[in-house]
Amino acid sequence: MRLRQRQRGSVDLRGAIGGIPGWRARLADADLSPGDRVVRGVLLVAAIIPVLTLLFLTAEMVQSAVPALVYAGGSFFTGQLFTFGNLYATGQTVSHGIHAPLGAAYGALPFIVGTLASSMIALAIALPVSVGAVLALVERVPRRLQPGLSVFLELLAGIPSVAYGFWGVLYFGPALAQHLYPVLSRLGVVLPFMRGPVGAGEGLLTTSLILAVMIVPIIAATTRELVRTVPILAKEGALALGMTPYETVRVVTLPFIRNGILAAAILGWARALGETMAVLMISGDFLNALPANVYSPFSTIAATIVDLLDSALTDPTGMAVHALAAIGLVLLVITLATNLVGRMIIRRVTTGVLPVGRGI
Amino acid sequence: MVAGARTLPMRAMTQVAGAGMTVEELRVRFGAREVLHGISTAFAPRRITALIGPTGCGKTTLLRSLNRLHDGRPGAQISGSVRLGVEEVYGTRVNVRDLRRRIGMLFQRPNPFPQSIRENVSLAARIHGLWSRAETPRRTEAVLREVGLWDAVGDRLSSAPFSLSGGQQQLLCLARALAVEPEVLLLDEPTSSLDPRTTGRIEELIGSLREHMTIVIVTHNLQQAARVADDVCFLLDGSLVERAPATEFFQRPADERSRAYVEGRVG
Repeated sequence: MRLRQRQRGSVDLRGAIGGIPGWRARLADADLSPGDRVVRGVLLVAAIIPVLTLLFLTAEMVQSAVPALVYAGGSFFTGQLFTFGNLYATGQTVSHGIHAPLGAAYGALPFIVGTLASSMIALAIALPVSVGAVLALVERVPRRLQPGLSVFLELLAGIPSVAYGFWGVLYFGPALAQHLYPVLSRLGVVLPFMRGPVGAGEGLLTTSLILAVMIVPIIAATTRELVRTVPILAKEGALALGMTPYETVRVVTLPFIRNGILAAAILGWARALGETMAVLMISGDFLNALPANVYSPFSTIAATIVDLLDSALTDPTGMAVHALAAIGLVLLVITLATNLVGRMIIRRVTTGVLPVGRGI
Repeated sequence: MVAGARTLPMRAMTQVAGAGMTVEELRVRFGAREVLHGISTAFAPRRITALIGPTGCGKTTLLRSLNRLHDGRPGAQISGSVRLGVEEVYGTRVNVRDLRRRIGMLFQRPNPFPQSIRENVSLAARIHGLWSRAETPRRTEAVLREVGLWDAVGDRLSSAPFSLSGGQQQLLCLARALAVEPEVLLLDEPTSSLDPRTTGRIEELIGSLREHMTIVIVTHNLQQAARVADDVCFLLDGSLVERAPATEFFQRPADERSRAYVEGRVG
């Protein structure tokens, strides 16, 4: 609250120095050379392009999704059967006044569940790993070794997702199914969704693990910057009281960066939601049923769109494309929502929770 | 200060003033730069010693050597001897955790933990096993009363300390330091960011704490040194120029450089 007050103070100050804003703008306008005007025009266009892109994209998606949404009605969110119908038959199925190929059904529940489940499991694994890794790196590793180790985190972010997918489906998945999953399935006694069969390694848990590896760098990079913003003075207060570095992290560092970590987690989550290629390769690409356990093959919205787009384009009624647009719209909404929430939290972090050692 | 309102932690009341500190030939280097060039002095129990000198003379470096706060700093090299009582502070078998409990510190600016006011006071005492869960509320109140903060925060112990004024935050940090019952209290310009009234309050507290502990205060403010200190150590460019009882130092500085500093001709 105090910080906000101070901010308001600084705004007043700027007003006092700059004089009346309108007067200043007019003066600046008159001073512009033709070159300045060109630059200003270019910058204006550049600034508008991202806004327009998002608006057009959303509008097109909505427009394209509507027929499929009307056709499926409520079963879009509850149905488990997703099929384009018989694209070669002459008959048509009519639902809510919309015509689609014979037998077409657009139940998106398995993709929505698959998208949310895989990304959330990935986040649950990646969050403690990346925060723990960063705290160990910044607090415990000797300073001269830190840059070298940090590079690894950043390299992890640069690996193409298709490489992750390839590695996952050929080596990582089968190895997990052979060695780790049989052990995990013993937890099935208490956790039903951990029960076997464990399959061959293409499925929800393998995908989530790969997604976790992919989002660790995102969360870790943000967390590292956050840890560096914790004032040394605050940490020394704990050390001078005889607290260990571990206790200092718990008492000072983590509470300081808690909200920032939350925001980083949401950014990482958004990445996991939209990841396509690796998921398509490792998920088992399984439609029309909810996953039975954590080892089950499944599919996500993003992977399904890529997988089915080719055949959707052959639907003469165009409904298949509308159906893919509809599930794409769901993904867009989920991703935008998580991003928005993340941004709101980041804004809260940067405007007020950290005024330790206030005053000077 | 209201005399009746003051409740001291139990051990502080019963204990004889704790050990003093001795420094011998203390040299501190940061990388290639030597900041302290062999300082020898002593900080007597039940006395307040002020470390004074111009900016960059090594006051704070000396102070932070006393509770090993340079330990984590890369490139810091410390030689010589620092003793708490007869115990070597930099000895190989020293428990730094316990050492820092026995040597409390108050910093230039208030640095409360991002925790509730209650936890700010009690966390360290709980971690060191000094307070049981049952007695924590009572002892939290006692320490807050001791620094005169209870009336202001007693009804909002669960809220964050950042809504308090800077002076109240500094008093909270003092309460936090007193909660672990230190024998030595290090003060690094504790009032440099505070208003005169809170400064007076803290000086008064320091004065009364002298009965139970050894106090070392770094200050830029010569008036403050004259007000609170029993002894004065005057440092210049990393060396100890003069060490004397405060009245003597301010009235008849023995060294020409001390005289110049006291009279405001340098620094």
